[in-house]
Amino acid sequence: MTRHSLSLLLRNEPGALARIVVLFSSRGVDVESLSLGPAEPHGGHSALSRLDVVVGLQPGRTAAQLVKQLGRIVDVKSVVDRTHDEALELGA
Amino acid sequence: MDTTGAGALVKALEDVGCEVIFGMPGGAILPAYDPLLDSVKIRHVLVRHEQGAGHAAQGYAQATGRVGVCMATSGPGATNLVTPLADAYMDSVPIVAITGQVSRGVIGTDAFQEADIRSITLPITKHSYQVHDPADIPRVIAEAFALAASGRPGPVLVDLPKDVLAAATTYTPPKLTTPSRPVLPPVQLRNAAQLIGSSKRPVFYVGGGVIRSGAAQELRELAERTGIPVVTTLMARGAFPDSHRLHLGMPGMHGTVPAVAALQRADLLIAVGTRFDDRVTGSLPDFAPHAAVVHADIDPAEISKNRKADVGIVGDCRDVLAALSAVVTGTADLTEWWHYLGGLRATYPLGYDWPPDGALAPQYVVERLSTLAGPEAIYTAGVGQHQMWAAQYVKYERPGSFINSGGAGTMGFAVPAAMGAQTGAPDRTVWAIDGDGCFQMTNQELATCAAEGIPIKVAIINNGNLGMVRQWQTLFYDGRYSNTGLGTHQRHPDFVKLADALGCVGLRCTTQSEVDGTILEAMEVRDRPVVVDFVVGQDAQVWPMVAAGTGNDEIMAARGIRPLFDEEE
Ligand SMILES: Cc1ncc(C[n+]2csc(CCOP(=O)(O)OP(=O)(O)O)c2C)c(N)n1
Ligand SMILES: [Mg+2]
Repeated sequence: MTRHSLSLLLRNEPGALARIVVLFSSRGVDVESLSLGPAEPHGGHSALSRLDVVVGLQPGRTAAQLVKQLGRIVDVKSVVDRTHDEALELGA
Repeated sequence: MDTTGAGALVKALEDVGCEVIFGMPGGAILPAYDPLLDSVKIRHVLVRHEQGAGHAAQGYAQATGRVGVCMATSGPGATNLVTPLADAYMDSVPIVAITGQVSRGVIGTDAFQEADIRSITLPITKHSYQVHDPADIPRVIAEAFALAASGRPGPVLVDLPKDVLAAATTYTPPKLTTPSRPVLPPVQLRNAAQLIGSSKRPVFYVGGGVIRSGAAQELRELAERTGIPVVTTLMARGAFPDSHRLHLGMPGMHGTVPAVAALQRADLLIAVGTRFDDRVTGSLPDFAPHAAVVHADIDPAEISKNRKADVGIVGDCRDVLAALSAVVTGTADLTEWWHYLGGLRATYPLGYDWPPDGALAPQYVVERLSTLAGPEAIYTAGVGQHQMWAAQYVKYERPGSFINSGGAGTMGFAVPAAMGAQTGAPDRTVWAIDGDGCFQMTNQELATCAAEGIPIKVAIINNGNLGMVRQWQTLFYDGRYSNTGLGTHQRHPDFVKLADALGCVGLRCTTQSEVDGTILEAMEVRDRPVVVDFVVGQDAQVWPMVAAGTGNDEIMAARGIRPLFDEEE
């Protein structure tokens, strides 16, 4: 397993989170941590949500491939692989 | 407040150009059926099982290039659509499924005929909606159609609670958008052109995306301009004419020896609208070991999924092929390559033996059907040996003439898909080439065809068995035939009587001398569906074959004959 940290911006629509989580389970992606919140922290209803997730990938599966698969989901506006940034933040 | 949610649904469907819906009413969807009765633009075909509605929508979509529509009620009606949705997802077929749902107030309470169809279908739909405000219906329908057809096509589900359908609303015509196409990356195009120009053993590996994008003409132009050989996958049969000198046939598990060899010995794969499926690649590490890969697909997630692409081009196949035509200036000398492939083509043509017991050869039936019905007909297939013979022995000359279940391999696909294709293409002859097993899964739609005047023709390749499974038992389980005999040679059921009972003409053919006459007799029938029971030998096998999990080099032209493996020694 390789660990990757992804950050997604998604439309706050019913079923959007479910679709992402189902993609993880049908493609054999292990979810280590997941946090969801409004993309614009202040103010009432937010049209966009931000999802930060740390996933484990099986050998031979790449984060780039997962990013593209997530990008196909209609309600997903953007996906960024932050694995590298995080490694820098941790000084690794 | 000039209409209801249901009225808005029907009006929106009319406005997006829907001309036919395959469906079955029931409690939750009932409000939608009332305004449907008054629509003069939309024909509703009442199916006998919702699975039939889904496959019919797929057949319609593939015969016409438009979005197919199916409709079902909540609960079991909706769950009966699961198989066609999965099928359409795998084969990238644009369909919209409209399902009734229990009223908003009782969603989540296990109400009568409640099923959470959105959740059930999450992994097998491109997108889905559950509408909670009737005013949203026109926009959602327009979006659903656009999503189903744009980019990589696929199934979209629209779930409509009953009270939303019944509620009063005002109709706002949906804004119809033309989808944007990806802008092609010039650097990758140039790199691809450079590889194409310098390779000594290139091959076009063409998939169903070429048909979906309407790129057959562009493919032909580029192939002819370069003289590069072409192979067409199961989903791409018809994307390039079988009669064309550059065509080596179908690659894959039951592909031709020259097509498989072209991939295995290539130094460049130009993969267009295809996804390196395991039925094509065999064991991945052994697939096309010497080839660089140019991979063009509308779906970025397909590029480098199974095989790393040296040059990946995200784009519509038609745009990519046209753009390549403009930049490819020439090729290396391909004489030696063609010499090698031509030799294989001459030594290992598709062929079959007649059963020693005097029974009818199934391949012969398919071959004659192809000759007599011709390339203007549409052929559908079920799943099994007959499907592979339909892919091998029918000569396809145009895109959209072969409609089958490739990725999912859904038994029972042929009859309802033929019904949908015939509805969309009323002037064409539509032949369902079906298995005796498959036919028993969905033949109820022949009653639909008879009642609705949809005169499809069905050729049952009746080998008495779940033939493809039996073939594996012959080859890999020592001939221990566990649960593959169907009793269909003992007339369980009698297909001719069954056809008659369903309101069709039933014919039977058991000998070689009757084949042409029976096909011609079936072609004479224009007012009703026809079913022909072709009783064929039970031991015929599909060859060539690459056994599952092995490398393509181990392709057997026939049992024990491994031309590529032996050539290495
Ligand atoms: C719905 C479904 N169930 C089971 C299978 C597995 N399967 C694949 S081919 C096949 C045999 C099909 O028999 P028949 O329709 O008679 O075709 P034949 O191979 O004899 O031409 C079976 C059972 C399948 N593909 N689809
Ligand atoms: Mg059979």
